[in-house]
Amino acid sequence: MSGLKDIVDGTREIALAMGVTLKTLITEAPVTVEYPDEPMAIYPRFRGRHELRRYENGMERCIGCCLCEAACPTGAIYVEAEENDPAKPLSPGERHARIYEINLLRCIFCGDCEKACPTEAIVLGHIIDLADYDRHDFLLDKQALLNPPTPNTIIRPDA
Amino acid sequence: MSDWITITIDGKEIKAKKGELLTAAAKRGGIEIPVFCSHPKLDPLGACRMCLVEAETRRGKALITACTTPVNDGAVYYYNSERARDARQGTLELILINHPLDCPICDKGGECPLQDQTLEHGPGHSHFWEEKTHKTKHYPLSDLIMLDQERCIVCWRCIRYLQEWEDKPQLGLFHRGGETVIDKFPAGKFDAATSGSVIDICPVGALTNRLSRFSYRPWELDKTDSICTHCGQGCNLRIDSRSHRVRRNVARENPAVNDEWICDKGRFATGFSYHPERLQQPLARMNGKLEPVSWQEAIQQIVAGLQNVSKEHGPEAVGALGSAKLSNEANYLLGKFMRGMVGSNNVDYREGSAVLADPRGLPALGDVHDADLIVLMGADPSEEMPVLANFIKRAAKRRGVKLIIVHPRRIELSRYPGIHLAPMPGQEVDLFDALTRASLQAGGEAIPGWLPAEDGAWNTEDVRAAGQWLAQAQKPFIVYGADYAWGFGARDIVTALSNWAVAAGHDDRLGFLHAQANAQGAGDVGLLPNQLPGRRPLSDDEARSAIEALWQTRLPRQPGLGYGGMMAAAASGHLKAMIIMGADPVGEKPSDAAALDKLEFLVVQDLFLTETAIRADVVLPAASYVESEGSFTNTERRLQRAPRAVKPMAKSVPDWAILMHLAQAYWGELPASWQTLTIAAVFAEITRAVPQYAGMSWENMGAEGRQWQRSALEVGRELRSHDPGFDPTDRKYPFHLIIGNQLWDQGTTFAATTEMAHLGVMAARLHPSDAVRLQVTAGDRIRMHSGTGEITAPVVLDDSISPNSVFVPFSFLQAPVGELFDRFGQRTAVAISKVSN
Ligand code: SF4
Ligand code: SF4
Ligand code: SF4
Ligand code: SF4
Ligand code: FES
Repeated sequence: MSGLKDIVDGTREIALAMGVTLKTLITEAPVTVEYPDEPMAIYPRFRGRHELRRYENGMERCIGCCLCEAACPTGAIYVEAEENDPAKPLSPGERHARIYEINLLRCIFCGDCEKACPTEAIVLGHIIDLADYDRHDFLLDKQALLNPPTPNTIIRPDA
Repeated sequence: MSDWITITIDGKEIKAKKGELLTAAAKRGGIEIPVFCSHPKLDPLGACRMCLVEAETRRGKALITACTTPVNDGAVYYYNSERARDARQGTLELILINHPLDCPICDKGGECPLQDQTLEHGPGHSHFWEEKTHKTKHYPLSDLIMLDQERCIVCWRCIRYLQEWEDKPQLGLFHRGGETVIDKFPAGKFDAATSGSVIDICPVGALTNRLSRFSYRPWELDKTDSICTHCGQGCNLRIDSRSHRVRRNVARENPAVNDEWICDKGRFATGFSYHPERLQQPLARMNGKLEPVSWQEAIQQIVAGLQNVSKEHGPEAVGALGSAKLSNEANYLLGKFMRGMVGSNNVDYREGSAVLADPRGLPALGDVHDADLIVLMGADPSEEMPVLANFIKRAAKRRGVKLIIVHPRRIELSRYPGIHLAPMPGQEVDLFDALTRASLQAGGEAIPGWLPAEDGAWNTEDVRAAGQWLAQAQKPFIVYGADYAWGFGARDIVTALSNWAVAAGHDDRLGFLHAQANAQGAGDVGLLPNQLPGRRPLSDDEARSAIEALWQTRLPRQPGLGYGGMMAAAASGHLKAMIIMGADPVGEKPSDAAALDKLEFLVVQDLFLTETAIRADVVLPAASYVESEGSFTNTERRLQRAPRAVKPMAKSVPDWAILMHLAQAYWGELPASWQTLTIAAVFAEITRAVPQYAGMSWENMGAEGRQWQRSALEVGRELRSHDPGFDPTDRKYPFHLIIGNQLWDQGTTFAATTEMAHLGVMAARLHPSDAVRLQVTAGDRIRMHSGTGEITAPVVLDDSISPNSVFVPFSFLQAPVGELFDRFGQRTAVAISKVSN
């Protein structure tokens, strides 16, 4: 009965909608990020891959206290501490982490390690590209965690 | 009148023992009063005020320290009153004023009473915001212990331990008020043999273990209740490991054995289990060189080697050495393999058939706590069993118990009141005869001529008094050590000293002190050339048929060769093949290398490539005791379990399991009598083979072990005759050689704890007057030679050594004192000359 009317109305609606699209296409910049060719904006509270921070003078913050390890609900962290060589200390004070490993395959990115750390050494940073070809590469050692591309990631104010 | 009284805490009535401290009474009533300075094994002091509670007194309620208050009948206390709670909170706040709170890097963090009590009783905030007082952190008190003065809460526990148990006041408090620090005395040492106990009892992280520093956090440790195998006391300890690596040992309470203390060797010498030089895989000799091979190949080669020799020269041409450092199971299976499969009675261990002591060891270690006289003969507990030494010190100091010490040197325990008699080697029997006569006379049995000649090396008055003391004592603790039970003349000495105990009416209280962890057990399970399991002679037909039925085999009847006999037979070419398990005869006596080189076939199973192992045709990597399971029988016949704490290193295998594999390959299949595939099954079989162990099982040994009854083995008790003494010295060899154990030695397991190896300082000790005569000074090297060999060593001057003698410690590879005596004897004399360099 009203078949013709439907077709006319429908066409008009589509034309209007296409008009909006056309207008936005011309007046507004595109929001799609050409990832990975373009960097992605990440919210400050996003919890990405871990980083071990340093102090401004280059000293490691981590003192190997293993509190992150104790806090981790999945057992993803393994720490072995060691005494600093007073002549060449790696961290301020007497103790540093000799081994620091995070198993990303276990990690659930809960951030408990970050909360537990008394020196704000371990933080979940903004690295999100975590895919890899080899299972073993998901085991991050201390060298991989230290010296992150963006040093001294800002600690979440509400953390 | 009953000893129980009633007290009231917070309105609740609690039964208490009359006179006990309020802390203990409250604990029984379910109230845990927090303490810092108070410790159940130390005298009450009242230094920290943590235990404040309110008490009803005649002048109203008052705050008192619960740890110093003995309870009275009807007394009323308030633990949970507001005032008491405030007082405890205030105390904690004060304690924390200057505390650094560096818990994240503190080894105590996680098991720290200060942390726990602050959480439970503390204020949660502080009124103090001023800069904290700074003191010395990271202060090594010794090679073993680190002090952090800032963390110390001045509880005096460490100081009191050293005074009350070690009787070596080596720590003190200096300065006052907030400046108070704990420290060594100026120019003082901190070297007590059980110094590490202060780590366990320090209620904070002020005193920590240097060797395990920062290598663990308490919550992540796997804890295994085990025992120490460094000496025959068998102290109970806990092995804490992580990632299958031993991190530290801590003491474990066992009132009958070690109370709650262990010595520094037991605590710190753990490095052997993860030493990088441990054997990783089996080795076999190919073209003259030891090359890695698979287990299968190694076992095949052993079977072929042993079977060849046995076929060609008879089973008597095969011999085996076990070890007093290894478990009952390992030694038992070695004996079973040799006797049951190879068919040879040539089995022994170093402290085995050569030691002619009481086969029942010591009556009980605990006897020392209520002894009224302590007699030590040829034993130096301070170097051999430091925890027992502390018990003796405590008896002497607290209860005024007198010591009779018969020893050629002045030993540490000689500083306590009593009598020290110093017979030179060879003179012992004459002295014990004199003592026997003195005791008989004190008992009213006058024997003419009982006094030794005036020119004896000992004082006649002392002999008379010592004889009298022992005859009159009610509960003496009488022990002799390996010095008097091993080597040439030992049979006579043991007879003579047993005579003395018999004459004094105390033969049931005389005991032998085994220096090695399982010297008692290895003999009990039958690793002796002339005895079957259960210390029964080979000639005992009933025992032999029982064992034959158990093992389903025929046993050889001819007594075998002992340790020395095997070495001699190897040298003369009569012994052709040997299995050496956990022993290093060449390290002890390098000239025995020639004997072993003559063997057609030598198998060594050990932790390291020892001097003996490098001569072997096949070397098998054994798992250390922390990596295998096993039971050990200590010097008071107490069987204790040492369960597996970590997994075996690389391809090493526990000794008992190696023997199972060997038996299987030797027989072609595992015979029915060898189907003991778990340690509990092996142990169950041992309890059937050793009558004294009957009724025990792997499970029912429990956490504190089980002693076998001394009455299960009869030993004759009458006066026996013996050969007279002798003088080994002459003009050519004018110096008596005195040998003994030194706590810090270079035994395999100790030397492999790299961090401690430097503590073991090898030196020959000379009396200063002899040094003058020989024109040597401290630090010079001297050459000592006897009829059989020679060694050189640096000299230390020591006036505790008797003139005309030289003391050389055992277990030093650079100066293997075994070179100086032949395979059967150690009472010998040496000539000394200076080594010019
Ligand atoms: S984010 Fe959570 S799961 Fe991941 S390592 Fe940290 S604590 Fe463990
Ligand atoms: S990252 Fe932080 S919590 Fe983890 S060990 Fe290091 S300092 Fe301790
Ligand atoms: S002693 Fe206890 S409270 Fe003090 S720093 Fe160590 S763990 Fe923390
Ligand atoms: S070092 Fe430890 S045991 Fe010694 S007084 Fe200080 S807190 Fe007490
Ligand atoms: S525990 Fe009572 S005063 Fe220290």
